[in-house]
Amino acid sequence: MSSDFYKTSILPFAGIIIKLCRAYTNSQQDFEDYYQEVCLQIWRSKDNFREESQWSTWVYRISLNVCLTLLKKKKNNVQHFVSDSITVEETEDNYAFSDESLNLLYDAIRKLSEIDRAIIMLYLEEKSQKEIAEIIGTNPNNIGVRVKRIKVRLKKILDGKIN
Amino acid sequence: MERSIETIWKQGFLKSNALVAPKINDLYNQKSIHIIAKFKRMFKINLIAIVAFSFLFLVISFFIGIPITGIIFFVTLSVLVVINKRLLNDLEKIDLGASSYQYLKAFNQWKNKQITVNIKISRVFYPIIFLSMILGFWFKDAEGVPLGERLVDEILLGFPDTYLLFGIPVIGLGIAVLILGLLAFFGDRIYKWDLNMVYGGVFKKLEELMKDIESLRS
Repeated sequence: MSSDFYKTSILPFAGIIIKLCRAYTNSQQDFEDYYQEVCLQIWRSKDNFREESQWSTWVYRISLNVCLTLLKKKKNNVQHFVSDSITVEETEDNYAFSDESLNLLYDAIRKLSEIDRAIIMLYLEEKSQKEIAEIIGTNPNNIGVRVKRIKVRLKKILDGKIN
Repeated sequence: MERSIETIWKQGFLKSNALVAPKINDLYNQKSIHIIAKFKRMFKINLIAIVAFSFLFLVISFFIGIPITGIIFFVTLSVLVVINKRLLNDLEKIDLGASSYQYLKAFNQWKNKQITVNIKISRVFYPIIFLSMILGFWFKDAEGVPLGERLVDEILLGFPDTYLLFGIPVIGLGIAVLILGLLAFFGDRIYKWDLNMVYGGVFKKLEELMKDIESLRS
């Protein structure tokens, strides 16, 4: 991947890529693999970008698709049964932010279903309902209600942890 | 006061270590090593399967009365396995410490050499397999008489004017020679078809990876 492309087209969005990859991984090694794969896929698919949406939307969408694909592959490999709304694996101790509240929030996010994780991350990144719907590929009308439900769920998980 | 998730999110990421992007450096190396390791595994399994099959067929051939076929199969496949095992040993010598591009290049050279050697073998291999089956069934015991001879007797009863060469109907010899010729001629294509069926996916991934790296280097 050329460093120019990385600096100009990926690095400005590295924040959201990192945040997304963190939400779908439990270890530093996995996180680095996911991050690198996302960057590689963005670079590979750059010629398919039709400018029908913003570049940032494109980047988010690819990041999300790659994370979901890798997660699916990983699940198939370990033949691990995961229901709609849980991630059972433990997070590595050394794979943590320096902010404890953020770690708790991330742990709670990882307990959500894969799509709910994406929605709440995009919401927290202050994306509009329309943008979230565009990235997820769903109806914008449902996003608001779904965000509210996810927040309630997160609050419950966080309260359970704190208490 | 209890903080909202929005606040936790914003404040958490203001901390310095939260958003450090990992370096993109080793991905291609990892990918190339992974793909080639997969190929090696498949190749080894394939060789083991050939050995197991040839041995099993050798035993079965004695039970079903075509030991000639079994022995020729066993010897031919053993030679094939020995040659390919030697080729595999060369593959193990490729330096994993080289850059991913050099590694892939070296692997590609090895792959082309392996294909060239096997194409040469396959031009002989398929005709030998066909011949072994003909011989096996020809000499198969049919109530004290070889099956081939019995067949010729039956033909001669029906068509007494059949031309024979070394006791074999000329037309039968002609058909056998034609099939042998076709197998020798199309041996490379049969081998490539077989190769593609087993390793096509791996080779495709490898090609894509090479293209990626080459476009990055250009």
